Amino acid sequence: MKITKLILCVLFITICMAVKAQEKFTISGTVTAQKTGETLIGASIKILNTNFGTTSNEYGFFSITLPQGTYTVEITSVGLAPTIKNVTLDKNVKLEILLSEALAQMSEVTITSVPKGRSITSPQMGVEKLTMGEIKSIPALFGERDILKAIQLLPGIKSAGDGSSGFYVRGGAADQNLILLDEAPVYNASHLLGFFSTFNPDAVKDVTVYKGGMPAEYGGRLSSVVDVKMNDGNNQDYKVSGGVGIISAKLNVEGPIQKGKSSFLISGRRTYADVFLKLSKDSTINKDQLYFYDFNAKMNYELGKNDKLFLSGYFGRDQLGFGNTFGLNWGNTTATLRWNHIFNDKLFSNTSLIYSDYDDKITINSGAINANIFSQIQDWNLKQDLQLYLNNKNSIRFGFNSIYHTMRPGDVTSAATSSVNSSSLQNRYSWENAVYVSNTWQASEKINVTYGARMTAFSILGKGDFYNIDSTGKVTDTLHYTAGQFVKTYFNLEPRLAISYVFNSSTSIKASYVRNVQNLHLISNSTAALPTDKWIASTNIIKPEISDQVALGYYKNLADNKYELTLETYYKTMQNQIDYRDGANVYTNDPIETQLLFGKGRAYGVEMLFKKKVGKVTGWVSYTLSKSERKIDGINNNQWYNATQDRTHDIAIVLMYKRNEKWSFSANWVYYTGDAVTYPSGKYIISGQPVFYYTGRNQNRFPDYNRLDLSATCQLKKHKHYSSELNFSLYNAYGRANAYSIDFQQSTTNPDETEAVKTSLFKMVPSISYNFKF
Amino acid sequence: MPPKYVIEGTITDSVGTAQVLISQTKDFYSNNNFIGITGAIVTVTDDSGVVTTFVATDSGVYQSATLVGQQNHSYTLNVNIAGQLFSAVSTMPVKVPFDSLFITTDASFGSSKKVANVQYKDPLGKGNSYRFVEYINGIEQQTIYAGNDDYTDGNKVTIELNNFGADDTTTYNKKIVSGDSVKVDMQCIDKSVYEYWYSLDQSATGSSQSAAPGNPVTNMQGGALGYFSANTLQTKSVVAP
Repeated sequence: MKITKLILCVLFITICMAVKAQEKFTISGTVTAQKTGETLIGASIKILNTNFGTTSNEYGFFSITLPQGTYTVEITSVGLAPTIKNVTLDKNVKLEILLSEALAQMSEVTITSVPKGRSITSPQMGVEKLTMGEIKSIPALFGERDILKAIQLLPGIKSAGDGSSGFYVRGGAADQNLILLDEAPVYNASHLLGFFSTFNPDAVKDVTVYKGGMPAEYGGRLSSVVDVKMNDGNNQDYKVSGGVGIISAKLNVEGPIQKGKSSFLISGRRTYADVFLKLSKDSTINKDQLYFYDFNAKMNYELGKNDKLFLSGYFGRDQLGFGNTFGLNWGNTTATLRWNHIFNDKLFSNTSLIYSDYDDKITINSGAINANIFSQIQDWNLKQDLQLYLNNKNSIRFGFNSIYHTMRPGDVTSAATSSVNSSSLQNRYSWENAVYVSNTWQASEKINVTYGARMTAFSILGKGDFYNIDSTGKVTDTLHYTAGQFVKTYFNLEPRLAISYVFNSSTSIKASYVRNVQNLHLISNSTAALPTDKWIASTNIIKPEISDQVALGYYKNLADNKYELTLETYYKTMQNQIDYRDGANVYTNDPIETQLLFGKGRAYGVEMLFKKKVGKVTGWVSYTLSKSERKIDGINNNQWYNATQDRTHDIAIVLMYKRNEKWSFSANWVYYTGDAVTYPSGKYIISGQPVFYYTGRNQNRFPDYNRLDLSATCQLKKHKHYSSELNFSLYNAYGRANAYSIDFQQSTTNPDETEAVKTSLFKMVPSISYNFKF
Repeated sequence: MPPKYVIEGTITDSVGTAQVLISQTKDFYSNNNFIGITGAIVTVTDDSGVVTTFVATDSGVYQSATLVGQQNHSYTLNVNIAGQLFSAVSTMPVKVPFDSLFITTDASFGSSKKVANVQYKDPLGKGNSYRFVEYINGIEQQTIYAGNDDYTDGNKVTIELNNFGADDTTTYNKKIVSGDSVKVDMQCIDKSVYEYWYSLDQSATGSSQSAAPGNPVTNMQGGALGYFSANTLQTKSVVAP
C-alpha cells in the first residue's frame, strides 16, 4: 500500500509537472510606428492585471513567456497612442504591433490620460535618455541642435567647456566615453574644433547614455557608453525635410524601396560660412577655408519574416585652412552591416560587421616646410549578440565582440625640396576580443537582478618595435616583433552586477557594481581637445586602464507619473591613468611611453534629477555634487590633486513651454564650478622676460561658469503634406564672459606688472533657422 | 612662497660673452623689477679640470672676460650662494654655419606681415638642436624659437621666425615694418638646453591651455630654476625692406 501511494504520488506530481510544463507559451513580435515603419526601441509590453511585462529591444523585438491563458496586453511607446491586444495563449503567438500617432487634437506634451511612468523595476541604473523631441526643443549655439551638448544638461555628464564637444562623465576623462553610431565607434565626435558634434539630429532615432551599471554587451571605455541609433527610414511614404540656419544647411530624404518591406534614408549637412570667405576681395581671406559636412546613409531590407538586413554609413569631414600656408583636414568614416535573425519566439540574434576610420591630416607650406602629417586609426569589427528570452523570469544576453585596430600615429610626407624629411612612425596593430554573458532575473515580485560578466583579451601584435624604459624615461631596450607576432595579451574579467528593489508601483532603489577596462588612450598636447590628438593602444608599458564603480540610486514617480525624481550616488576608482612628464613632447619621434607618467584616480558624487513630464510647461532640474582626483608619481609631489574634470557643483535647469499650436519656447540655464587649473605661484626672469613658477598641479579654479540660452519656435504652416517652422535662439542671453582660457603675461600698458588675461569665446550669439518637412 | 634662486648661465665660442645672471623668484603681484643676487661664487670648469672664476660686474651679473668654449667639450657651472650649492653641465656642440637671414612677407591668418627667416644646413646625424634669438631695433623679442633635427635631419632648413602675437603696442613683441633693423643670433645648443627652451615655451609662459603647466626641465641641479648653456654663437643682421 505504501509503495502504491508513493508511486501514485510521484505519478501525480510528474503529471502535474508535465501538464504545467506544457502550459507555457510565448508571445513575441515587433513593435513599429505605423506612420513611418520605424521599429520602436524600449516600447513597453505590459500584461495587465499581472506582474509580467517586457520591453522591445533595439530592433523593436519583444518576447514574453506566460502560462496558458487569456491575457490583455498593453503596448505603449513615448509619444504614440497606446494599443491593447487580447490574446488567447494556447500556443505561441506572433504579434506585429503598429502604433499610431497620438491624436492630432492633443498637443505633443499635454496628455489627458495618465501618462506611463518610467520603469522603476528594471535593475538598469546609471542610464540617461533624451527623446529626439526634447533634443530638438533645447536652444542651441548657432541654432544647431546637438545631441552631445543636450546630454550635458543631465546629471553626471559635464561639458568640457565652451568650444569643446568633449564631455566628462562621473569624473572621467573625455576619451573614456564610448560613442557608438549604429554600433560603430566614433573616435572624434566633433566638428570645427569642438563647437559642434558629428551627429545630425534629423537622422537619429535614439540616444542612450550609460554612466554606470553598463550592461555586459558594452565594453572598451571606463566612464560611459553613448549609444546613438539612426532612424531606419520611412518605409511607408517618401519624406523630405530640411532646414537652413545661419551657418549650415541640411537635407534629409527617406522613403520605401518596397513599401512596408525596405527603406532608405539619406541625410546631409554642410556649413556654408566659407562661401562668404570666397567673396572677400582681401586675398589673405579669400583663400581661407572653414567648413564641415556630414553625410548619413542607411538602407534596410526585410529578407523574410525572420530576417532583416541593415546597411548604414556615416561620412564626415572638417576642413580648416589659412590660405596656402596651413591646412587641417579631419573626419570619421563608419559603415555597419547588420543581420537580424529571429531563430524562434525566444531567441533573437544580431550579427554586425563594422568598419570605422578616423584620420587627420595637417598640411604646412610655410617657409621651406612643405609637408603633410597624416595619422589614422582604423577598425574592423565583428559582433555577434544573442538575446534569449528564456522564460518570464529570465532573459539572457550573450555574445562576442572582436575588433582589429590599425593605428598610424604619424606619417610625414614632404616635397623633395622641403626642409622636412619624409618619415613614418611605426604602425601599431592590436586585436581586442570580448565574450560576455548576462542574465536579468526576476528573483521575486520586488527584486530584479542583472548579473553577468565580460571577459576581454587585448592582444598587441607585431610588426613593430617595443621598448623597455627606465624610471627617467630613457629607452633601455628595443624589442623587435614580426608581423602577426603576439607581443602581449592583457586578460581582464569585468563583472557587471545590478539589483533593484521595488517598494511600491512608484518607488524603487537600485544598486550596481561594474568593472570596465579600456585599452585605447587619447594622447593630447593641451586641455582643448584637438583633432590632432592621437589614439594609442596599450603596449608592454602602457597598461589597460581599469575602473570599478559602485552606485546606489533612489527612484520615485510622483503625482500620477507627472513628475520623476532620481537620486544616484557613485564611487569610482581608476587604475593606470595616464598623464605627461614635465616638458613632454607628444609629437616626439621617440617612443611615446618616454613622455608619459602613470597613476590612479578616484571620483565620487551625488546626482539629482527632477523632471516634469506633462503639462504646457515641462522640463527638468539637474544637480551634481562631485569630486574627481588623480595621484600620479611625478606630479604634484606624488600627492592627490584635482583632475581637470573635477567640478564641484554642476546645475542645469531646462524648461520647455508649448504655448499653443503656433508658438513654443524653451530656455536652459547652466551653472558650474570652474575647472581646476594650475596658476603660477610666482614669477622670475629668463632671457629678459618674465616667466612663471609653478608649485603643484590644479590647485586653483577658473571662475564659475554660467549661461542662459533662450529659444522660440514658430510653426508657420502645417498641412498634411507640408509643414515648416522658424526657430529663433539666443545663446548666452545675458552675455556672460565665461573664461575659455586665462593666460598670464607682462602687461602691455605697464610692463612693470604681470596681468592675468581672460579670453572668452561666446557672448550673446543670436541665430535664426528655417526648417521644412514634406 | 619662499623665493627660489634663478641662475641663467651662458658660455659661447666667442670671447667676452661668458655670463651668469643670478636672481630670485617673486610673488605674482610684485612688480617686474628683478633684483640680482650679489655675493655669489661662480666658477666654470672645463672637461680637463681648468677652473675659471667669474667676476661680479653688476648686481646679479657675473662675467668672464677670457673664457671661450670649445666645440665638443663639456663644461660644469658651479654656483655657491650663501652656502647653497648649485651646478649644471652642458656640452658645446659643433657649430653649424648660419647661412642666411632674410625677410619675407607671410600672408596667412587674415593679415599680411613681414617675418624674419633663417637658413642653415643641418648636418646628417640626429642630435642637433638650435635656438634663435630675434632682436628688432635692438630689443630682444620674447618669442622663443628652439628646434631640433628630429624631422629635418641632413636637410637645408629654412625657418620662419613667426611671432603670432606680434602687434604695434610693444617693443618686445613687435610687428616688423619697413626700416626696422632685425638681428638674429643662431645658437647651436645641446639636448638638455633644447629641452629647457622647449619645455619653458610649452608650460611656463603663462598659458592655461597647456596640458601640464609646470616648471621647465633643466640641467640645473640643487633646486635652482634656470639653465646653463654652452652654445656656439653666430649673428646676422638685416634691415626690413
